[in-house]
Amino acid sequence: MKPRWAGLLLLIAVIGVLALLPMLVNNYWLRIATGALMWAGLACSWNILGGYAGYINFGHSAFFGLGAYVTALLMGDKLAWPFFATVPAGMVVTALFAIIIGAPTLRLRGAYFAIATWAFAEVLIQFASVMDFTGGIGGIGLPPFLDERFFYFAMFAAAALTYLITWALFERSRFGLKVKALRDHELAAEAMGINTSLVKLQTFVLSAVTASVFGAIFAYWVTFINPKSVFGGDITDQMVVMVLLGGLGSLWGPALGGVGLFVVNRLIWMYWGDTAFYIAILGAAIVLVVLFMPNGIASLFSRRAAKSGAVLDKAVGKLVGDDQGGPN
Amino acid sequence: MSVADGKTAGAGDPILVVRELYRHFGGIKAVNGVSLDVDRREIAGLIGPNGSGKSTLFNLVSGAVTPDRGQIRFDGHEIGGRKAHAIARLGLARTFQIPAMFDNMSVTENLLAAAAEGHWQGARERAAETLALLKLDHVADNRASDLSGGQQKLLEFGRVIMRQASLILLDEVTAGVHPNIRKIILEAIARLRERGITFLVIEHDMEMVRNVCDRIIVMDAGRVVASGSFNDIVRNSEVMQTYLGRPQ
Repeated sequence: MKPRWAGLLLLIAVIGVLALLPMLVNNYWLRIATGALMWAGLACSWNILGGYAGYINFGHSAFFGLGAYVTALLMGDKLAWPFFATVPAGMVVTALFAIIIGAPTLRLRGAYFAIATWAFAEVLIQFASVMDFTGGIGGIGLPPFLDERFFYFAMFAAAALTYLITWALFERSRFGLKVKALRDHELAAEAMGINTSLVKLQTFVLSAVTASVFGAIFAYWVTFINPKSVFGGDITDQMVVMVLLGGLGSLWGPALGGVGLFVVNRLIWMYWGDTAFYIAILGAAIVLVVLFMPNGIASLFSRRAAKSGAVLDKAVGKLVGDDQGGPN
Repeated sequence: MSVADGKTAGAGDPILVVRELYRHFGGIKAVNGVSLDVDRREIAGLIGPNGSGKSTLFNLVSGAVTPDRGQIRFDGHEIGGRKAHAIARLGLARTFQIPAMFDNMSVTENLLAAAAEGHWQGARERAAETLALLKLDHVADNRASDLSGGQQKLLEFGRVIMRQASLILLDEVTAGVHPNIRKIILEAIARLRERGITFLVIEHDMEMVRNVCDRIIVMDAGRVVASGSFNDIVRNSEVMQTYLGRPQ
């Protein structure tokens, strides 16, 4: 069987299993599956900018948090919007923030961009912590809706759409070619007529908006959020590690990394009662992957991706200011 | 022949006009009052010792670097200070001294990326033709970073072909490549010229300059010091001094 057909059949099988999962497992495992789908989707949204465009964003949780807070505020007693109306509202607000933040910061490169985005998320934490309308440091509650199947399918739909959009835009369209070209050599991409400033901003906004959708569903799912729980830097850290483990700049890498790490995290918690051990496993896994599988787990299934760690090299090069894509 | 003036040798229909162009980097006068013309369908060679300002001139014309002052007019448009992508969209394409590959993309994707902005119609067919023209079809699916240095030069040349540009700037496109690859590039230049494309070529290989270029512009210390045919240039004592040094 040709690999392409085998891949398609595998994809159909995975979708089939995921669609039937609520009928096969209890609520505990369904919650784990919901979380796994959320992290797979979030890792994909981070990978849109980090993997495809080569811009390492250390403040991605800001957009997850914006989606969560918009939903929480609009569903509160005063406004009482229905959940499904809050999701597009969160996307619009997030897109506006992404444009305002992205326009100046995407002129920066490497570590400077990473620091600027990290600072943006920190600013939002502080802002949400001191403002009354966000509930301050104490957080904000949402109307409870205790239907695990609803949240499972909501996360499933959001993750599936995120991957579908990523596949269509970055693997099958000329927009993806432009984004990957600017990742590899920004000056050469400009010389090919590509407006790199605009393409970067479009990619940044798409990456941000997809994260906001998961934030919205998450807020409704957990029924209570505070600044740390949705803007916290550890959320971004998780995404970065998931993508590095799965495969930076690959379509399915973030899914493998996201699901794998979250399930390991939950299993460790289940058997040992806390997740301190998880951090040690995480560290060891990162070291092993960077040393022996620089393009992540996904490279095991792709001959071309397995040949070198060039995407990771490129990203790290940009981060340390070693790869400016500048003139010769 | 004209000395210290690159603007007089053309036939009077310039596609590129540069006037009194300046670009200094601190105390270094990289381009210091350059004026030159490049006529349509011409292959103009740009020569000069290392550090004479040739690549900076390319960067200024292609928009990679902003001029301090002076005029650059391409195909009737004033382009001095415009963004590189805007200039490229007007029909100007360039290569870089060190090949600027899209490393993680395949050879075919490199060619398609060059056509992604403005020339997408029929891009796949043109990419296949370009691969055949440059004899890169056997590595079409290879990652660009896996190519040899010569193949990377070919691929970069292929990308400018995909741009369907009216003016192509080539920065030492045959430097350090195998004679077979050099032959492929020269044949491709000849073919593109038949289609009416203009070239401005930085080159140190005098044999190539003699065989390919209609006219040669000589730069030294950020200025144009001579312009004319190959025979004119080799008989010019100032050019010879520029290359061989002045007698003590």
